[in-house]
Amino acid sequence: MRWSRIAPQLALTPALAITAVAFVGSIGWTIYLSFTRSRRLPEYGIDWSEWGRQYDRLFRDAGWEISLRNLIVLGLGSALAIVFGFILAAMIDKEKRGESFFRTVFLYPLAVSLIVTGAAWRWILNPTLGAQSFLRSLGWEVDFNWLAQGDTAMYAIILASVWQSAGFYMALMLAGLKGINTEIWSAAKLDGVPLWRVYLEIIIPMMKFTFITCAILLSLGVIKAYDVVVAMTNGGPGQSTWVPAYFTINALSAKSNLGYASAAAVMMLVITLVVFIPLVALTVWQQRKREAAR
Amino acid sequence: MSQVSVSERAAAAGEVPVTRAPYFVRKKKGITPRSIAVLVFLTICALFFCVPLYVVVVTSFKTMDQIREGAIFTLPHIWTLEAWDHAWNHACSGIKCDGLKVGFWNSVSILFPSLILSISLAMVTGFALALWNVRWAGGFLFLLFICAFVPFQIIMYPLIVMTTTTKIYGTLWAVAVIHAVLAMPVLTLIFRNYYKDIPTEIMSAAMMDSGSFWRIFFEIIVPMSGNILIVVLILQITSIWNDYLIGVTFGGLTGQPMTVNLANLITISTGTTNYAHNMAAALLTAIPPLVVYFLVGKLFVQGVTAGAIKG
Repeated sequence: MRWSRIAPQLALTPALAITAVAFVGSIGWTIYLSFTRSRRLPEYGIDWSEWGRQYDRLFRDAGWEISLRNLIVLGLGSALAIVFGFILAAMIDKEKRGESFFRTVFLYPLAVSLIVTGAAWRWILNPTLGAQSFLRSLGWEVDFNWLAQGDTAMYAIILASVWQSAGFYMALMLAGLKGINTEIWSAAKLDGVPLWRVYLEIIIPMMKFTFITCAILLSLGVIKAYDVVVAMTNGGPGQSTWVPAYFTINALSAKSNLGYASAAAVMMLVITLVVFIPLVALTVWQQRKREAAR
Repeated sequence: MSQVSVSERAAAAGEVPVTRAPYFVRKKKGITPRSIAVLVFLTICALFFCVPLYVVVVTSFKTMDQIREGAIFTLPHIWTLEAWDHAWNHACSGIKCDGLKVGFWNSVSILFPSLILSISLAMVTGFALALWNVRWAGGFLFLLFICAFVPFQIIMYPLIVMTTTTKIYGTLWAVAVIHAVLAMPVLTLIFRNYYKDIPTEIMSAAMMDSGSFWRIFFEIIVPMSGNILIVVLILQITSIWNDYLIGVTFGGLTGQPMTVNLANLITISTGTTNYAHNMAAALLTAIPPLVVYFLVGKLFVQGVTAGAIKG
């Protein structure tokens, strides 16, 4: 039973105003600006003969291409956090001993700012005074000088993000594993199925929702990745660790090119929607399934 | 297969599924080789997770002379608080060298107004959407769901213009208000999902009693919100404290939170970098959320999973 009055509608006005102005209106504003020739200051005239000029330029920009490539590299690399998180969760769940201790340790990186994470890893990866020189002094010829070279700097960012987020995926996986009926284990044991096959053929398929959720959350996180790039490399060396989020803010603040930054932001929104639509479909599907089970 | 669906149904109904049927209780036996292997592997992983924290802590207590020796993993020869003192009182951010204490107090003054604003707004909105008959509630909820995912960059410039025209750009208020605005969709959804499970009997009784929106809110809903409030508080404290992007965009030169000071310190260093100072600064920034984390433990997971969709 629900009640209708004026008060609830009034109470909703601030939230409605924020949604209309700060979200819907602002998105429309940025999309509009992306069709204009605005540079430092906004210009509201659109030259219809070449309304897509910012996008044309964007797709021909080597920096944007690097950003997109890095986005995919970062996405694939960060996916290790899901794999790693699942392995940790499976082990913790099967072993039970020390569960709360291990969980506390694996999750603490999530509590700290990515700027702090970046500062720490930047120091560890320092070529002259960091882990590399220490391991070399022990006689191990390792090469950890990732941050200084363009083709390896992304690995350093991936390392820091995996370290930061693996615990989060572990927590999600652990919740998923707890929901699995324990009789499966004993049934598998009776049948003499080896443990790794139980995981591969029964547990992982049963946890597909958890995996899809993790994958979507990961993609959304990767699209928004900005802090970790600033703290680790600040986009460098050169443009080698640019990502779309970095590219967009750089175009707005360093290059003062409003129209161009808007076009890049719109492309970020498009990428987000590509990830977002399957999520909506998934939620609807899950809800239907739950209702059907009732 | 029928058992599986039974347990799923139980889980869906919110009941705690039976975790171990009695006849499956593991036999009390000594630790198996497999257990040992698993524990060893987990311990190695745990050590890997602790390496950065360890390195940061020991570096922050070292002298620069010892750091130059290049042995990053050794304990300090002489434990010194010089780096902590320097980071707190004298570290440079941009042209000013007043230390991280400026940023710390900025972060504190951003945190509290922002917490109050974002949580009270989301509570009222969530309550109205969950329990009152608002015709367009469904559409509005879907819109909020979309807004929760929007990348910040697409609304960045309009928000800068709005804060500039209202003359709050570059102040702590701008950062606090923008935090509240950006958190509104997610927090509203969290509160709405919590309130919609309130039994209708309670609402009916409340309607008979007073029927006033605000009285029901303050006398019934707020006292019932304890659990969800803690989860949301954890989520908001960590995300506001750890934020960099909003702080650097809206803080200008005077309203910068601690993370911005830290980023300035570690990325733009003129002359020789003093790593002890940097690491002490990083630790100072990390301590408040870490304290929250170790105090609340398990609730932290709920907090971050609830807000996972937020960037």
